[in-house]
Parts: sequence; C-alpha cells; structure tokens
Amino acid sequence: MSRLHDMGGRFGDGLIPLPRDAENEVTNFEPTFKYKWHAKAWAITLAAGALGEWNLDISRHYRECLPPKDYINFSYYEKWLAALTNLLIDKELISLNELKEYVFAAEKGTLRKFSDKDVKLDQRTWLAKDVQKTLGWGGPSIRDTNVSPVFDIGNKVITQNYNPNKDISGGHTRLPKYAMGRVGVIHSYNNNHVFPDKNAHGLGENPLPLYTVEFKSSELWGELAESQNDSILLDLWEPYLKLFPN
Amino acid sequence: MSEKKNISGDYHHQHDHAHSHLPSDPELRVKALETLLLNKGLIDSETLDELIDTYENRIGPKNGTKVVAKAWVDLEYKKRLLIDATSAIRELSYQGRQGENMVVVENTPETHNVIVCTLCSCYPWPVLGIPPTWYKSDEYRSRTVREPRKVLLEFGLPLDPKVQIKVWDSTAEIRYLVLPMRPKGTENMNESELAELVTRNSMIGTGLPKEIK
Repeated sequence: MSRLHDMGGRFGDGLIPLPRDAENEVTNFEPTFKYKWHAKAWAITLAAGALGEWNLDISRHYRECLPPKDYINFSYYEKWLAALTNLLIDKELISLNELKEYVFAAEKGTLRKFSDKDVKLDQRTWLAKDVQKTLGWGGPSIRDTNVSPVFDIGNKVITQNYNPNKDISGGHTRLPKYAMGRVGVIHSYNNNHVFPDKNAHGLGENPLPLYTVEFKSSELWGELAESQNDSILLDLWEPYLKLFPN
Repeated sequence: MSEKKNISGDYHHQHDHAHSHLPSDPELRVKALETLLLNKGLIDSETLDELIDTYENRIGPKNGTKVVAKAWVDLEYKKRLLIDATSAIRELSYQGRQGENMVVVENTPETHNVIVCTLCSCYPWPVLGIPPTWYKSDEYRSRTVREPRKVLLEFGLPLDPKVQIKVWDSTAEIRYLVLPMRPKGTENMNESELAELVTRNSMIGTGLPKEIK
C-alpha cells in the first residue's frame, strides 16, 4: 500500500524528457528555472519553510498527500504550490478567507502589494542578509545519540512489507514499495538520522541508525532484471529492516 | 489496529483541500500566494531575489566540476573525498542545504554508478544546484531503478554488459555525487582545464565527461 509519489519501478512511463541541442544530441544545458513562476514557487516555499512551522519531512508528506488526481495532473512546481497552500492554512499562517480574497483579486487583476512601510515583518521572517548563512548551515539530519546500530556490514536483511509506518496508517515513510519485503545486504552504516516516519507527523525526531542496503537487481525485478550483476542501493532506517536468517 | 484508525496519514482533518481554491493559471496562483505572504510580512521580496540569484548564478554544476577535477589530479584529495565527501567538498567551500551528508561514488572500468530519487527529487544542491527537469520527471524516477541500461541508452550512453551498474536511490538525507573516470589523453591537462571536461550528467551517472578530440 502506497501513494502515487512512490513510483520506482512502475510501468507506463515513456521516454525521459531530455533537453536536446540543434543536432538532437542530449545537452547538459537548461535554465535553472524554466519560467519565472517556477523560480517564485520554489523561493516562496523555501522562505515560508524558514518560518519554522514545519520540517522537511512534513513538507514532503504534504506533497505526497495531494489527492491522486491532483498529484498526477500537477506539474512539479504546481505540487509544491498546492502543498504549500495546505500547509499555510493548516499551520494558521494564513486563513482560508484571506486566501480566497487574494485569489479573487489575482483573477480580477486587482492584487495590490502593500508599500514596505505598511508591512510589519513577522519576527520569524527570513531576511535577505541571512540567506547565505542559513543556506551554508543547511539542515543536517544526523543526530548525536547513544543508539547503537543493530546490524553489521555484510548482514543479510529483509525489509518490512505492507505498512512500514508503524504509528500512522498511510503515514509518511521512506521505504519505497518496490523494495518492500526484499532481501538485501547491509553495505554501510551512516550514523543516526532523524526518522521521517515520525518527524513527518510531529511525533518527534526519534533519530535512528541509517544504513545503505544493497539489493541485487534480480531480487527486486525477478526475471525482468536487465542484468544479474546490477544492484540498487537504498538508504534505509533500522525499523524498516529485520535480520534475514541465513 | 484500533489506535491506527484514529490517526490518519492524511492531513485534511479540518477542511477540504485548501489548494482547490487556487486559480487554474499557476502564474496567478504564485502571484496570489506571494502577495498575500508579502503583505502579511511572512516573506521578504529581497530574500526571494537573493535565493533565486544564488541558484541561478552562483550554486550549480560548476562547483561539482571543480571537485571532480581536483580528485583527478590530487590522489590524497580523492582518498579524502571517497572516505568523507562532506568534509572534502567543504574544503572547496561548498556546503550546506541539501548537501549536509555527501557521499561520492567512484566509477571504474568495472562499475558505473547512477543517482536517482524515486520518492521525490533529492539532489546534491551545493555541488550540482537545482535538479534539471528530467531528473524530477516521473519517467526518470520510475524507470531508472528497474531498467537503468535502457534509461542510459536514451542519454546516449550504451554500457558494456560486463560493467556492473549500481543505482543509488536517495531515500534518506544522504546526497550522492558520481566521480566519473578521467578521460584518456588528458595527462597534460591542468585542474581547471580538466574541470571544463566534466559535465553535469557525468556527475549524476547519466553521461560521461567530454572526450578530447
């Protein structure tokens, strides 16, 4: 059981939409943002996130929770905008009436931006002078805890099946459907990281051991595997894994 | 089970989806939201400009090309890069958002690495910038884990069946960068000349560095 964003391995998708040059060769060049509104949607999302009312996992989960018909129809940044709108309302940063009022004005062409002196900046608002500093810090998910990893490198493990999120039905998880119930080998241990399955639901950071697990292509795709040699590696938290008896 | 039924993974407990009230034209959606947030003092327009300028003009794949070129000419640096990529990349002052935990994977004659994010669009911003459209596409996300060889062919990269492909699905907060193989015949080139050969796609694993003619 999963949601539409969890699309690894599914059938039906066509050619990769690659930019090509005049000779029809794949090119490495395309603008960072194709349209001005893409840039704005992206920047507004980052700036609103900096208010501190939600974390990265919550914002991911809001995008994943868009109704399937919207998730399918929306372009990338439309998903961002829709999820941001729902977050702003749920966290009461804006009201539904305010939203309706501004949408109405936008459609009538009567949107009005207040002059700077009429705007009172919120204490939490991200200021331009702090942008480089904040980007440079980033938001590390590693936590110093005394939790020791249960598995050793080289251990054979099997991933959870069905519902990896044990607290919330249909809750956020980072174990993709295509790798559920499959046997892999612990490739490395990457310290303890904030656990998205809880953090996305405001249940605390609960940092836990994070492993990179290697799966043979044939374990994931059976006889459809392109090559017996190939493998797929995923970063998986300890609760997604159980020791697989040899 | 009973406890689970009380908590839903969906968030719209209090109301219908607010986003359904947005205008159909995405440009108007952005304008409405942006103006509302600006007027409420929750965002600042100079911050938006600074963010966009940073990723349009300062942080992008050029950063990654310098990391790769340095690893090609400096064996000690390459060792550090493969053991602790985050620190080695920070030596070149690239760090921070969406690159907090970096891992560099090395291409060899036996192994070719490819990076994908099937669940969303995780990508190492400090060294590659904002991901290209194809990286965020359903097509790339769905197919790369199941049929990487077909996908690479579309990029113009046929791989020898003897070469092992490793596909890295960025399912957590680790961000991956591919260290491509140094092209043949470049022994006399210096670091900045070598950096010019490194392409963005070669650092994702969907391309190779430019050959010298």
